[in-house]
Amino acid sequence: MSDAMIEFREVTKRYAGLVANDRLSLTIRRGELMTLLGPSGCGKTTALRCLTGTIRPDAGRILLDGRDVTEVATHQRELGMVFQNFALFPHMTVRDNVGFPLMIRNLRKEARATRVQEALRLVRLEGYAEHYPRQLSGGQQQRVGLARALVYRPKVLLLDEPLSNLDAKLREEMRFEIKEVVTRLGITAMYVTHDQAEALALSDRVAIMNRGRLQQLGTPEEIYETPNSRFVAEFIGLSNFLEGRVASVRGATMTVTASGLSIHTPSLPEVAPGHKVLLFVRPNEIEILPAATPADTNVFPARVEKTTYLGDTMDYRLMLGEGVELRVQADARHRYGAGESVRLRWPRVRSWRANEE
Amino acid sequence: MTGFWRRHSIHGITGLLLLPAILCFFGLFFYPMLLTIVLSFRPEGQAVGWTLENYTRFLASPDGRWVILLTFILAVGSTALSVLLSVPLALTLREKIRGHRFYRLMVIVPLVVPGLIGALGLLLFWGTRGWFNLFLTQFVPFLPSPLRVNYTIHGLILFYVWLYFPYTCVTTMSALESLDQSIEEAGAVVGANRWQVLRYIVLPLITPGILAGSVLTFMAAFGAFSVPLIAGGDYRPLAVEIYKEISIPIPARWSAASAIAIVMGILQVAFLAMYMRIVRRAGGNAGAVR
Amino acid sequence: MTLLKAYLRGLREGWFVLGYTLCVCLSVFILAPFLMIALRSVGKGWFGKLWLPPQLTWDWYRWAIEVGNIPEVMKNTLIIGVIAVAVSTVIGIFAGWAFGRRQLPGKELLMAIVLLPRMIPPITYALGVAKIFYTLELVDTHLGVALAHVSVCAPFAILVLSATFEGLDERVLEAASVCGANTVKRFFYVVLPLIMPGILASMLFSFTHSYNEFTLTLLTYGPNTVTLPVRTYLAVGDGYWEITSAMAVIMVVPSLAILAMIQRRAKPEKLVGGFKGV
Repeated sequence: MSDAMIEFREVTKRYAGLVANDRLSLTIRRGELMTLLGPSGCGKTTALRCLTGTIRPDAGRILLDGRDVTEVATHQRELGMVFQNFALFPHMTVRDNVGFPLMIRNLRKEARATRVQEALRLVRLEGYAEHYPRQLSGGQQQRVGLARALVYRPKVLLLDEPLSNLDAKLREEMRFEIKEVVTRLGITAMYVTHDQAEALALSDRVAIMNRGRLQQLGTPEEIYETPNSRFVAEFIGLSNFLEGRVASVRGATMTVTASGLSIHTPSLPEVAPGHKVLLFVRPNEIEILPAATPADTNVFPARVEKTTYLGDTMDYRLMLGEGVELRVQADARHRYGAGESVRLRWPRVRSWRANEE
Repeated sequence: MTGFWRRHSIHGITGLLLLPAILCFFGLFFYPMLLTIVLSFRPEGQAVGWTLENYTRFLASPDGRWVILLTFILAVGSTALSVLLSVPLALTLREKIRGHRFYRLMVIVPLVVPGLIGALGLLLFWGTRGWFNLFLTQFVPFLPSPLRVNYTIHGLILFYVWLYFPYTCVTTMSALESLDQSIEEAGAVVGANRWQVLRYIVLPLITPGILAGSVLTFMAAFGAFSVPLIAGGDYRPLAVEIYKEISIPIPARWSAASAIAIVMGILQVAFLAMYMRIVRRAGGNAGAVR
Repeated sequence: MTLLKAYLRGLREGWFVLGYTLCVCLSVFILAPFLMIALRSVGKGWFGKLWLPPQLTWDWYRWAIEVGNIPEVMKNTLIIGVIAVAVSTVIGIFAGWAFGRRQLPGKELLMAIVLLPRMIPPITYALGVAKIFYTLELVDTHLGVALAHVSVCAPFAILVLSATFEGLDERVLEAASVCGANTVKRFFYVVLPLIMPGILASMLFSFTHSYNEFTLTLLTYGPNTVTLPVRTYLAVGDGYWEITSAMAVIMVVPSLAILAMIQRRAKPEKLVGGFKGV
């Protein structure tokens, strides 16, 4: 049996000329928590709804545990799903909400009661069985949603922005709770969100989507450390970009001229002098050094324009050379004031060929 | 191909779902209306021929014009009084004063009680033997004879207010309710006193609501039938005049009645269009009005 | 400064006194007519300058029931009301489904058209309705009078049920599907319980309208289909105020019961949405 639990094969969906999913292919492995991440309108929700069967793709197949479910009705797909707006049944108690999938499957009453009890214990809501959804807080409602999705042990758990209707503190708490429950049950989960912090904290792998296509697929580390495009780099974390031209290539490193600076960076495959490249540095990967630091490779003079205190770090806006603004986040223990001259060291610079964007 | 059929069958189903409503609309409203229009152009008592006489006779006679004028007087008068009553009342009920639930209930009572009953009670209360005149003659000095209210124009206006002011009042209350409290606070913070907040912030914001509500009251008063029928006496507005044409003369004058009905219908549609414009212009402010 | 504050407080209290006076006057204005009807219906020998009737009696009710034939009239009213409610609720459910849950080109316009009869005084099209019913021999039949009532009840049912169906959360239905419910189970376990309050409200509204409808009844009734409002109106013409009052009380009690029910559930704005049967 294959390792794939969910498989999108060249799934395409158009809405009145707008392509929501453009030959999307994606495989989610058994027991993995995969996040579909992207800005609104990137097609992640369409992908999810194709998987639940609420939308029929125009082309392509969807496989669930090796079985082609493209033509299968939603209620026969054996899915568990947590909704953004909770989507609890307002006229049922928590017990009936959680028991609903079991009742639909004609489970006997006693068996149902124990399973419901189990599910409620899993989400720590044992005492709330007789409450109605409207009597619960947002966080509690979402835990009921989670219990309802898990109670009949579906093959796959789908989570559609489950935390976006909660306040910031609760969101963080629930994030860990979901992660823990999913890990404990070893269930395959697909998590859809536009919140990059959630994606990084939760996932085994992240799939970043843009304009209906898969932009990059990888572990959170891979996505953050080696984004494969400007889009991904901008979407995940903060970044500084510099456009430049390759001046020379020497083995594994090359020199790039950008805004009058000579920057050394690991070379790219098939790159030759004269090619345009885009350089990219994370704000926390730049060191700020006193102005007296001797010149070296990738050490450049700069002037502090503006500082913002952020508690554990300082956020600097610096002017580098001829009108290049950089953003740097550094330890708040050594502070530099606005107007001060400093030197910046870039220990790590990444680059892409500029026109591959 | 399948998509094509799917789409069309979906429209078919929607059409099927709407069919009873459309049948009801055509059978019970549109076709009767059409028939009334046709009837209004027929010579009295005949099934063929065309004539404008029914209109000219009604519109040209002083009696006919008086009927229209009277209908307007009653509607305008009761609408004005309704606004005067509703705005202070809505402002008062907005504060959660003691018993506000009860007073709110009082506002909607006339909406659920049949106009007939209201009119009957009002005739009793304001009549020469009613409590109102009893109070006047016993407690107000220099007023030996009872005040005549029933079967007068001002009495009719008063009855209309009783029946139709809730439209204005409820709409005004809901406009007030949907008002963002923080806007007023903002006004108070920059130094406006209660009166200024009311005058420069609250009233302008609820004006669309008041306007929409008063048009509702106006339309109801304009179309009033049961009240003037039993409490109007010799004063017969349009609706009663229509009924009189088919109930009093023998044989009934259907064509004359139809002509008056069409005149009334045209005026009412014009008011309706006005109301729609106000509601649309008010947008979110009078959203609850719909 | 303190003087100013005292002045402002006085102003405010003055405002409250005024407000209270207004509310109390309003209550008298609204309620006194009912009280007078109620007292008239049980008072005997109430002439001259008396605030209250000197003697109480049930005679007027007995007269109303026997002479006014109230049981028969009540039966007519109920039969007509039930038919009108049934027809308009069916119309309302179908149309509400179409308006609330389906994509519909020109939805707003269609809705406005269907709701038009609610905004036009019935007397303007009641003539036509009567003419048609004369030809179809529907005048003075329960079905006929009920159908005439449907022209005002149905728009109401459509309005209420469209809102109900629109309020049905798509996601909740989707959740039911994902949980494994097929169309039939989804309808019985989720859709029906969720729209039931709307259906009940629409039935209640429709019944109230039919019960109170006067104009359309007056133009389509006959000796066999006298309803309560018409009977009361005829009694006014007879000039016996005591008996008329007794009839009015018999008629208004159910109205007030319905008011109590509505008051607990619906917002009053909903009532304003349409004119009652004036």
